[in-house]
Amino acid sequence: MPSVSPAELMLAAASQPLMREVFGNIPGWAKGLFYVVAAVAVGAWAYGIYRRVRLWRQGKPSGGVNYAAALKRVVRDVLLQGRFRGRPFASLAHVLLFSGFFVLLIGTTLVAIEHILADLLGRPASDPVFHKGLYYAVYELVTDSFGVAFLVGCTMFLVRRLRGAGSFAKTPADVGMLVLLIVIGVTGYVVEGLRIIHAATPLPGLSPVGYVTASLFTAAGVDQAGAGRLHFALWWFHAALALGFIAWMPYSRLIHSLAGAINLAIRNERLGTLRPISMAEVEETGLIGVAKLEDFTRQQLASLDACVSCGRCQDMCPAFEAGKPLSPRNVVQELVGVMNVRGVGGQSAGGSGQEKDSGLPLAGGVIGEETLWSCTTCGACADVCPLGVSPMGMITDLRRFLIGDGALRGSPATALQKTDRVGNPFGLPQKERLAWAAGLDVPLVKDNPEYEVLYWVGCAAAYDRRAQKIARSVVRLLQAADVNFAVLGPEERCTGESARRMGDELLFQQLAEQNVATLGEHRAKRIVAHCPHCVNSLRNDYPQAGGEYEVVHHSQLLSELVADGKLPAMPTTTAVGGSITYHDPCYLARANGITEEPRAVLAAVAGQGGGNADAGALPIIELPRNRRETSCCGGGGGRMWFDDAPSQRVGRGRVEEIVGSGAATVAVSCPFCLMMVGDGVAAEKPTMQVRDIAELLAEATLGPESGAANGNTPPSA
Amino acid sequence: MKILVPTKRVPDTDQKITATADGSGVASDHLPFVVNPFDAIALEEGVRIVEKLGDDSEVVAVGIGEADYVQQLRTALAMGSTRAICIECDQPLDPWNVARLLKEIVLREQPDLVLMGKQAVDDDANQTGQFLAALLDWPQATFASRVELLAGEIRVDRETDHGIETLRLPLPAVVTTDLRLSEPRYASMAGIMKAKKKPLDMIPLAELGVALEPRVEVLRYHSSETVRRGERLRSVDELVERLRQDVGAQA
Repeated sequence: MPSVSPAELMLAAASQPLMREVFGNIPGWAKGLFYVVAAVAVGAWAYGIYRRVRLWRQGKPSGGVNYAAALKRVVRDVLLQGRFRGRPFASLAHVLLFSGFFVLLIGTTLVAIEHILADLLGRPASDPVFHKGLYYAVYELVTDSFGVAFLVGCTMFLVRRLRGAGSFAKTPADVGMLVLLIVIGVTGYVVEGLRIIHAATPLPGLSPVGYVTASLFTAAGVDQAGAGRLHFALWWFHAALALGFIAWMPYSRLIHSLAGAINLAIRNERLGTLRPISMAEVEETGLIGVAKLEDFTRQQLASLDACVSCGRCQDMCPAFEAGKPLSPRNVVQELVGVMNVRGVGGQSAGGSGQEKDSGLPLAGGVIGEETLWSCTTCGACADVCPLGVSPMGMITDLRRFLIGDGALRGSPATALQKTDRVGNPFGLPQKERLAWAAGLDVPLVKDNPEYEVLYWVGCAAAYDRRAQKIARSVVRLLQAADVNFAVLGPEERCTGESARRMGDELLFQQLAEQNVATLGEHRAKRIVAHCPHCVNSLRNDYPQAGGEYEVVHHSQLLSELVADGKLPAMPTTTAVGGSITYHDPCYLARANGITEEPRAVLAAVAGQGGGNADAGALPIIELPRNRRETSCCGGGGGRMWFDDAPSQRVGRGRVEEIVGSGAATVAVSCPFCLMMVGDGVAAEKPTMQVRDIAELLAEATLGPESGAANGNTPPSA
Repeated sequence: MKILVPTKRVPDTDQKITATADGSGVASDHLPFVVNPFDAIALEEGVRIVEKLGDDSEVVAVGIGEADYVQQLRTALAMGSTRAICIECDQPLDPWNVARLLKEIVLREQPDLVLMGKQAVDDDANQTGQFLAALLDWPQATFASRVELLAGEIRVDRETDHGIETLRLPLPAVVTTDLRLSEPRYASMAGIMKAKKKPLDMIPLAELGVALEPRVEVLRYHSSETVRRGERLRSVDELVERLRQDVGAQA
C-alpha cells in the first residue's frame, strides 16, 4: 500500500478532480432495474416496520414524551452505545458492528443524495455536486475504515455464536443474518477494488482496504476490461444482498435497532418506580394488571421487539442464579412469542400461522405463577439491559393480574391480608408500633411538632425483634448528635412498598393515601428512614400519591453527622473485631444510587480516614458484586413474606459470596437484608456477625447500649 | 352441584383482644374482623371443587350478622363464591340457633353439600356443623383434611387423634373442615372490586320465621394477662442444666 502523507493528500485534493463516478460502470437499464428492486426492498422494509408499529400501537398510551430528553437519550444510549456493562467481547463487537453499520448507512445515504441532486441539477456523472475533493477524500477514508469495524464486529459475533457458550440465543436465523452481513461487507470491498482498477480511481490509497483488494486482483492478472465485467456482476450480487437485507431487517432480530431506539428514548429510566393504575379505570373496566398483551403500554410492547435475547438479564438475575423457575429473558421472549402468534388487540402479527396458540392466559399460563412470584424486583435485569427493556416491569404488571384474580396463597397472602387489616405485614397491633423504643425517650410528632427530621421507622424495625436494634441505634445516634427529630409512632403505617411490588396496587394506594394524609397533617418535609424500601417508596412511589418529601437514607444522614463531627470521637478500640465487608441493598444502590455514604459510615467505624488511623484501621473488604452490580439478598419484591427455607431462597448465592469474603462482620443497611443475610449466614457461618451500619456506628462511637450485655441482646420490650 | 358455605365473622386473632370494662363483651372498637379461618378453608375448598367441575355449579356463602358483615361476604365473593346471602340479625347467637337459622337457608337453597369450618376461632364451640347435620338429618363428616367428590357421594378423610379416618357419605351431607384441607387464596381489594357485581342477598331474620331459643347464656367476659418470661443464658450447658431442673421440678 503506498503511503499518502496528509500534505500530498491536500495537494492532490486541490489540484486533481478527486472523485469517483456514482453508478460508474452501471448502464442506464441496470440503474433503472436497481431502483425498481430498491423500491421493492424499501417497500418491504417499510411494510415490515409498519406491521410491528401497528402491533405496538394496540397497547395503552405510554404517557407524554419529553422530546428533548428523548433526543438526549438517543444520543447517549443509542448513538454512543452508552448502556453496555459487562461482557467486554460482545460489547466491543456490538460497538464495532453498530458504528460500522451506522457510518456506512450514512455514507450510502449521502451517495444517494448526491446522485439524486446531480440528476435534478442535470449534471453529468463526471461532475458531482459535492461528492468530490476533500469531502470525497475524507468520505472514502472514513467509510473504508468503518467497513473494517463493521466486518470485525460481525465476525466477532459469528465466532461467539458458533462457539456456542453463553446464555444468548443461538438460532439459525441469527447465524444466517451475520453471514449475510459479512458477505455484504466483503463483496463491498471486492466491488470497490474492482472499481479502482476499472475506473482507474485517483488516489486509491484513500480506500485502504479497497486498494488492497485491487492490488490482489491486479496481481492475479485481472486487467481493466476484466475488472469491468467482474465489477458489473459482483456489483449486482452486492446490491441484491444489501437490498435483500433491507427487506428482511424488520422481520429479523434486527428490528431491535428501531424498537430499541424507540424504547430507550421513551422508557421510564427510574428503576424504583412503577406505573400507577387509576382506580377509576379499574372500576370502569373491572380489570387490573395485564391480562392480555394490549394491557401493556405501547412502550412495553415496543420493548418486546427490542429484546435480542442476549441473556444479560438472565446472567444478572438472582432468582435464576438460585434455580428458581425465572429467567427474565424467557419472560420477555415468551411474550414476544405470544405477540407473534396471537397478535395484539385483534391486530394480527401476520405470521405464517404455523405456530400453534397454546390458548393459555399470560399470567399463570404462558408465564407460570411460580415464575412471576420468584422475582425480587431487584431491578438487575432492567438495569443491565442495553436496550432498556424491563422484564421486572412486565412481571409486576402480570402480578397485578394474579392479585386481582385471587391467585396468591399461603404466607405472602397472609402478609398482604395483615397489611390490609392493620397496616403492617406482621399483623401486629398498630398500638404496639413504638414498643421498640422502650426506655429511649423517642419523641412523637405530636409531642415535638417543631421537629426538623421525621424518622420513618418502618414495620420491620417496629415489630421484628432483630430489626428493632437498628431503630434503637439510629435513635441513640440522632440523640447524641442533637438532631431535632420525631417519629409518627402508632400513626405510621406500612408504606405499601412490598404490596405494590407484589402487584397489590390498590392496597398500596390505600396505604399511600393514609400516609400522605398523616405526613401532611404533621407537615413532614425532611424524612430519614433506615429501610431502603421505605426510602424508595417515599421517594419514588409517593409523588404519584401526591406526597413530595426530601427523603434520605440513614446512611446519608449518619455520614453527614460523621463528616460534620457531630458524633463523639471514635474510641481507640473499635466495636468490630476483624475485617468488615458491605452488602449493597438493591433498592439503595441500584434503584437510588446511594453507594458511597454507607461506605463512609463504615470507614468511620473501621477507624479509616478519621484521626484514628494510627490506632490501626480495620480492613474493609469489597464483595465481588458491589454497588450498582450488587446481588439481591432475596427479600425484595415481597419475597420477604414467602416461606422459603434459607437454602431455597433467592439470595443464597449472595450469602455464599458474603461468607466467602472471609470478613468477620458483614454490614448491611436494610432490615430485609439484615434478616435474609442474617438467616443465611447463621446457617453457613454462625461466627460471622451481620449488622446494620447504624448498629456498628452507634457501638463504635457511643459504646454498647447500656444494660445490654452484648450486641446480640434484644431490647427489653 | 351447589355448595353452601356458612361463614362467621370473627375478630383478628393477631390483635390484643380485651373484654369491655363491664365484661359484657369484646372491646371491638378498631378491632379488625376477618372471615373465620376454618370457614375460609371451606370457601377455598368449595371454590376449588366448583372450578374443577367447570360447569354451572355454584358456591353460596352465608353469613349471619349486622350490616358490617357484608365486608366479609365480599371477601367470600372475591375468593370465588358465586353469590352470598346475609341473614340480618343483631342479636348474639349460640351454635344451636345458628344451626336452626342455617337449616332454613339449606331448605330454601337445597344444596348438595354444606361445607363449613369445624369451629370458629372466637368461641371455639365446634358445634354448629354437628347441630345442622342433626337438624337436617343429613350425614356428617367433621374435621375433614381431604375431600373427594364421587358420583352422588363424597369421600372424606377425617383428622382424628389416632390418625386419618376415611368416610364415604351419600349427598347431601354436612362436612366441617380442618386446617390442612386447603390454603385459602388472597382476596385483594382488586378482587373484591371485581366481585362487586356478584349477587349479595340480604334476608331479614323475621323472614325466616325462626323463633330464637337461646340455650347458652354468656355471663361475663374477662381479659387474661399473659406474662412473657424470658431469660438470657450464657451457654448451652447452662441451658441444659436449667431444662433439667425445670423438668425435675415439674415431675
